[in-house]
Amino acid sequence: MLDLLRQFVSGYVVLTPEDFSLLAEKITVRSFDKRELLLRPGEVEQYMNFIVKGLARMYFYKGRSEVILNLAKEKELISSSSSFLSGAPSNYYIETLEPTTLLSITRDDLDRVYKQNSRIERLGREMTTYFVLEKEEWEHACMRLDTRERFLQFVERNPELVQRVPQKYLASYLNMKPETFSRLKHLLKKRPVAVGNR
Amino acid sequence: MSNDIGAYKDALERLHHYLSRFVPLSRQEFGQLLPYIEIREFDKRVRVIDAGSVERYLNVIATGLVRKYLPVRSKEITVQLASEGHLVHSELSFHYRIPSSAVIETIEPTVFFSISYDSLQQLYDQYPKAEHLGRLLISDLFVKKDNHYYHQLIKNTRERFLDYVRTHPQMLQRVPQKYIASYLNIKPETFSRLKHLVRPGKK
Repeated sequence: MLDLLRQFVSGYVVLTPEDFSLLAEKITVRSFDKRELLLRPGEVEQYMNFIVKGLARMYFYKGRSEVILNLAKEKELISSSSSFLSGAPSNYYIETLEPTTLLSITRDDLDRVYKQNSRIERLGREMTTYFVLEKEEWEHACMRLDTRERFLQFVERNPELVQRVPQKYLASYLNMKPETFSRLKHLLKKRPVAVGNR
Repeated sequence: MSNDIGAYKDALERLHHYLSRFVPLSRQEFGQLLPYIEIREFDKRVRVIDAGSVERYLNVIATGLVRKYLPVRSKEITVQLASEGHLVHSELSFHYRIPSSAVIETIEPTVFFSISYDSLQQLYDQYPKAEHLGRLLISDLFVKKDNHYYHQLIKNTRERFLDYVRTHPQMLQRVPQKYIASYLNIKPETFSRLKHLVRPGKK
């Protein structure tokens, strides 16, 4: 399991085996059934989680409808990052969609490791930078692409999620009505050539 | 550095103060950062970075006011309004070294404290404390972005308007109305109508 994490962090910074073991010492394995809530609004996010197996989503309610902000699968992170970074209460829920195994580190432990080792602190900076850029990219996509383009881009980049995630959640994540999502999916079957044509 | 940094004593004082909110920096430590910083001056209504060019700098505003926007079809969508002490750059372009899709344009004559991409990497390599400061700055940026995004989604038009003018009273004077309206995702007509809510003497 740790090998997956080692692989993941090496995409951001080069850590020596000693550096990595500082981090690994603080990591706990947490397992959840499907449909378990990991976090509720008002709670402070204590964990940064790396998904070894499974699938989770982060969402909130706007009125009575759910708005999904994040869908994460294996080899991705899931956390209410803003709460994790600031210590302020989370605005969001986090819930597993499948049985899920996480490698988790607490805020306090991560802060301790940062103080001990500046290469790990760099890892923290690089990952946080990536969070910012991911958000920025998403916002740009929402502003620049129309519904159909957003759908096609998503399907192209996440073919696996289209299979694994209930359709209504994908629609919510892409900020479109479930009917629209169905209609676009239909279009995809008829004209597979359209995928990747962006 | 071509400009005389001494001419911006007050603004530098504010920069020192701003950075110290994240990590306490002695006068000497702050002094070590200065050789990496460039001072850049712009007239009003100048494009500091245009769509298609690569963002070289991370900027903190010493004095002035800028807006960042995305040209989308025939419209301009304002994504940031930044004044003194704020951080502004075309993030995706700066970090991924790709052409910018955003434009940053001055609204007033503006002075930036800027650090280039290369200088920033040098600084991180040289000073572990810079690494720490950088992490906290970027964390703060993320938290602010997340909050803004969440509030844009959760609040109605009237709430977005009132919250913004309460927390940024001076912006209403300094920024053309259409830019604030675009930033808050409010139609210009609606924005004009909402403005009566904050006229002096009314509640």
